[in-house]
Amino acid sequence: MVLAPANPKRMWGVTHDLGENLYLPKVAIIRGIVDETPDTKTFKVSFEDQGYAESFRWESGQFAEVTVFGFGEAPIGFASDPAEQSSFDLTVVGRGGVTKAMHQLRIGDRVGIRGPLGNCWPLEQVKGMDLLIISGGCGLAPLRPAIFHLLANRRDYGEMWLLYGARTPADRDFKYDFEVWRQRSDIHILETVDEADDSWTGNVGVVTTLFDQVDIRGENAVVFTCGPPIMIKFVIMKLLRMGFSEDRVVTSLERYMKCGVGKCGHCCINHIYLCTEGPVFTYQQMQGLWEIRSIGVEDLGCDCERI
Amino acid sequence: MNGVLTTCGFCSCGCALYIEVSNGCIKGLFPSVNHPVSTGRLCIKGWSLTSSITCADRLRTPLIRRGSSLEPGSWDEAISLTVSALRKSSSNFGVKSLGVIGSAKMTNEECYSLVKFARSVLGTPNIDGSCRFYDASLIQALLQTTGIPASEIEISAIAKARSILIVGANVRDQLPHIGSRIEEAVRNGCQVVAADPRTFTIAPHVRLFLHPRPGKDLAWIRALLKTIIDRKLYHEDVPKMSGFSELCSSLNGVAMDRLNDETGVDPTLVAEAAKVLTEKSPPVVMFGLGVLQQSNSTEIVKALANIALLLGGSVIPLRGHNNAQGSSDLGMAHDFLPGYTPLSDSEAMRAWEQAWDCPLPQLPGLSAPDMIRACEAGDIKSLLVFGENLVLSAPDPRKTVSALEHLDFLGVSELYYTETAALADVVFPACSFLEKDGTFTNIERRVQRVRKVLEPLGEAKSDLWILAELASVLGKSISRDPVEVLAEVSAHVSQYADVSYQGLDEAWGRPWQSNGAKRKFAPVNGHSGGRDPEYPFQLIASRIHFHQQTGTMSLRSPVLSREYPEAFAELNGEDAKKLGLRPGSLITISSRSGSLARNLLLNDSLPQGCIHVPNFFAGDSPNRLASYECDPSSGVPIYKGCAVKVEAVK
Amino acid sequence: MKINGVAGALILKKSDAGIFLEGLGRDFRIIAPRRHLMGDIMFGAIQCPEEVVWDYGHDLYPPKRFFLPHYENLFRYRYEAGGVELEKVKDAPQQAIIGVRSCDVSAIQFQGGFFGSPTVDPYYKSRLDNTVLFSLVCNEPPRKECFCICCDSGPYLDVGFDVQLTDLGDRFLYQIGSEKGAKATESVELLLTKAEEGDLAERRRIEAHADSRFETIGYLAKAIIFTSENRVPEELWEELGSTCFRCGACTNLCPVCTCFTVEDRKDADGYFMRCRSWDSCQFSGFTREASGHNPRPTFGSRLLRRFYHKASYQYILRDGRHGCVGCGRCITCCLTDLGVPTVIKRVRRELPEYLEAQQKEKEG
Repeated sequence: MVLAPANPKRMWGVTHDLGENLYLPKVAIIRGIVDETPDTKTFKVSFEDQGYAESFRWESGQFAEVTVFGFGEAPIGFASDPAEQSSFDLTVVGRGGVTKAMHQLRIGDRVGIRGPLGNCWPLEQVKGMDLLIISGGCGLAPLRPAIFHLLANRRDYGEMWLLYGARTPADRDFKYDFEVWRQRSDIHILETVDEADDSWTGNVGVVTTLFDQVDIRGENAVVFTCGPPIMIKFVIMKLLRMGFSEDRVVTSLERYMKCGVGKCGHCCINHIYLCTEGPVFTYQQMQGLWEIRSIGVEDLGCDCERI
Repeated sequence: MNGVLTTCGFCSCGCALYIEVSNGCIKGLFPSVNHPVSTGRLCIKGWSLTSSITCADRLRTPLIRRGSSLEPGSWDEAISLTVSALRKSSSNFGVKSLGVIGSAKMTNEECYSLVKFARSVLGTPNIDGSCRFYDASLIQALLQTTGIPASEIEISAIAKARSILIVGANVRDQLPHIGSRIEEAVRNGCQVVAADPRTFTIAPHVRLFLHPRPGKDLAWIRALLKTIIDRKLYHEDVPKMSGFSELCSSLNGVAMDRLNDETGVDPTLVAEAAKVLTEKSPPVVMFGLGVLQQSNSTEIVKALANIALLLGGSVIPLRGHNNAQGSSDLGMAHDFLPGYTPLSDSEAMRAWEQAWDCPLPQLPGLSAPDMIRACEAGDIKSLLVFGENLVLSAPDPRKTVSALEHLDFLGVSELYYTETAALADVVFPACSFLEKDGTFTNIERRVQRVRKVLEPLGEAKSDLWILAELASVLGKSISRDPVEVLAEVSAHVSQYADVSYQGLDEAWGRPWQSNGAKRKFAPVNGHSGGRDPEYPFQLIASRIHFHQQTGTMSLRSPVLSREYPEAFAELNGEDAKKLGLRPGSLITISSRSGSLARNLLLNDSLPQGCIHVPNFFAGDSPNRLASYECDPSSGVPIYKGCAVKVEAVK
Repeated sequence: MKINGVAGALILKKSDAGIFLEGLGRDFRIIAPRRHLMGDIMFGAIQCPEEVVWDYGHDLYPPKRFFLPHYENLFRYRYEAGGVELEKVKDAPQQAIIGVRSCDVSAIQFQGGFFGSPTVDPYYKSRLDNTVLFSLVCNEPPRKECFCICCDSGPYLDVGFDVQLTDLGDRFLYQIGSEKGAKATESVELLLTKAEEGDLAERRRIEAHADSRFETIGYLAKAIIFTSENRVPEELWEELGSTCFRCGACTNLCPVCTCFTVEDRKDADGYFMRCRSWDSCQFSGFTREASGHNPRPTFGSRLLRRFYHKASYQYILRDGRHGCVGCGRCITCCLTDLGVPTVIKRVRRELPEYLEAQQKEKEG
């Protein structure tokens, strides 16, 4: 299964045309803000221009370059249900200059959006297969659109497992979604935390400690995983030992980005531009990118936590 | 618009570069190929020059203190408030209650006019400049030895050196053009002897690298002098040179057997250094802030210059600021006049009194650190500061801030709203060197043009204009035309006799010649320094690659500030282990004068017993750990080797 | 006017050069080598034909700056509670650049392809569309650091130019290589006559002579294989990388390099300007993420990155050619010795020795 095509000259044929000037953002308004965790917020955003909003489409796994006016741009993944067209969510950890400034914004403030950029989770290619979704910390945000899509099109897919680990119960993103998803009988959900508090009755330990409870066979299954680098490292190690092949493990990579359209060079890994040919890759594709030094390395995954 | 030729405003190499502007926006920047220093190359600071200067938070209007805050005001108000404050202090408390501190970033015309303003318009002897916090000790030391308080040779000549002695300078990172020429020399067979507590990036090119402990350079350099003299490694004509016997007797107290204990340098290495430098003589002797900011720096510089004199070599003091040389040449100091005229030279002083039509004092005024102490004591009532962020560049900021707050009046001319500007009664928005015409003098004594590329931002004015306005309201005259000012300089300062704007439009400036300066030896006395058991570490507060001095300009370039996003300090791994400190953790470094917190990084090229703290992060500076107990001979605060302790932050 | 090869080339007398420039000047802003203060000869806007320095060598500051400026404003905006005002900023005048060397023409062609696909950078495109390049064949390599002949980028081009001039002494051989070149020539076609056999023979003589005069060699082939497969020992990259002065000049002055950074800068009157400016993969901050993690933390890893981008088959497949045109600027501007030929030579020749040394160490 090949996701990001080897031919780098393809247009990202998914969805939207960025217009005559791919550096100009479109103005959007913040309609709602949810405090997910002490350092993460979800912004519900919709375009000022209704006509543009109506024709705007994006796929799970894609991202936008978000302008915080007066500060600059940061790449942030779409985090809501792609079927929801009137607005979209941007879940942001406030870590750098731009994202910290974004955290100061309020409902009604405006941001700039350039997108959608990048490729997407291979939801078409994995139809009929079992899905094991493993994520940790803020890594759940890029997977959330895929989860919504899968749940809305449940019959097109096999078994579905969702494993999620966070540092503490308070650091879990999208707690309200879990409450809804747990009501369903067609998805197995396992959660864990590194450090529990008095209210926590679930598993305690890293997310790989949940693997024993997962009943899934490798031949017809695919794994989508996204989370802190240290988690990805151990997850992939364990998956390969369990018999998953390299082309059945799919993850979303992260790099410092600037233009988001494959020109400025910051996000390159070997010969690919992460912003146009990624960020979603199979582990097999990553083998050809030797700048990501094998499985032992921090270059994998999102870095909501410092190593 | 096609490229306008100007000179870089960062370090004292003085590269020439072209800046292209279109519609008031900078479009391009590139080095001159024909220039003898830049030769088509720049360092990262040079390449990032314009973004450091045109940052959005440049001051654009004068600021006047109303109540507890500074608010935008008019130039008329700023000037008249300043003048009336100066007049009031002067008439109530005398001219000695006034002080002026300038910057080594000002143009030559501004430096000269500042000195003239202080001495002839205000009549105060209290005039000094930023060199006092960096490299002022080299002036008297070199005047007493080589006779030239500057580099004796051109930078391009370094590439042909047969041997080089370089002490206390991270030359590859801070003065890349000189580092590059040293490498070229090594490729041509030059032998380099280096000395510094740290192992620098120049190390692979160094034949012999000595690692004295911080603050202990004088002893081993005296030992080197003694070795060369005892073994008669000098030329046969040397004993006939003036001062030779005094030098020899001053070295009688050198104890080779205690050298290693005292300094960390073994006498066998000293002997080897002597051998290398004499086999491949004449050497080029270079030294930087590592030596210039120590206690007894004047003695150290004399000792190094003596080595060059013994072996027929040349001296290059590695100065930092773009116009450190010009500001020194033009007398921005409390203890001499332009052209290095000693206050004791009555004939020369009379000539200056005639030129400026005013009496001049025979005794030195207060140095910059002493002025700040005098502010605290209430002896100085009004202070003008041009372009120097004293709160960060002076020691002990608590004392500095309290001293400046004690003043009746503080006037500050600045590009940005610095910590010092925040304390002022009046802030003048200054022009950067991109917005005015003038000249700088580089380390080679070469006077070079600075040409206006942009219109002044907002209502900013050049320091020359500000001085001329102030003088005019005070009833005196200072020209606001840089061409006229340079003509006046060239008429009165012999070193600048051949310099003119027209000449500089036709050819690159030539290094000024000092008339009849004779090379002679100077005696070098030793000193004893104790260790403070409560503060067992030696501080190395230094500049760092990508940044300049306190970072006022360099921190504002996104490319430069991106390189070191977090304030850090470095310890040797063994020391960190002994103290139980983890890399990445927050530590406190404290001295008797102050303390600061930094993230800890490990660096085994640092010797044990030292802590390296770069001095450019916004809002804090390791200079705060030093005290106002300055080196007595040069008045420079002791930033290198000051005693500190290191602990984890609780 | 038609595209013509050498056989169908035309002649422009040098004595007509002034009229030629005046003719062009009616439709185009002319950019050509001119003498700046203190004798530095660099490309600049020409006010009158006499300013043009025809016998210039090479401009260290690459003409890529006329397409991807060193500093460029993309757009400006102002925002307040009520809304955001966005204003595009674009300047792309019709211009003719006279005297560009073949290496730079190849580089501009490379960049045009890079910025033109798979998505189109509108700023680069509009400048490229509005510019005609009148390039000049090198009768001699202008600098001893030149090695375009090793990179298929000079000293003369067979294809890929708008108009190519060859200095034949008192006249230029004038070749039209593109529709743009043909159209630009229309306004001056009366000055041109057909070249004769003597002219063509002189051109052939010049070609052979120029080909033989290169002093610097940079054979990329083997290096490409080693970098593509990551077979160069890390120690070699670290050793070379540790000598780097981190000035960024090599990437700034490389006519092929395209990396840039973008920032929002406050302008006057409450406006913000989104500016882009040249950036360099040689800086540690180039890839450092907000968390502090840096995928390329060492000098060696960054040096490897530069050479991988310049010389690897992955990028050749992607971009249509390798990323070096042999202009030699990286050699001239480097404060130490890390130009492309030096590194290539070390990579080519030291690999077996490293492997051998490692082997001996294991055994001994």
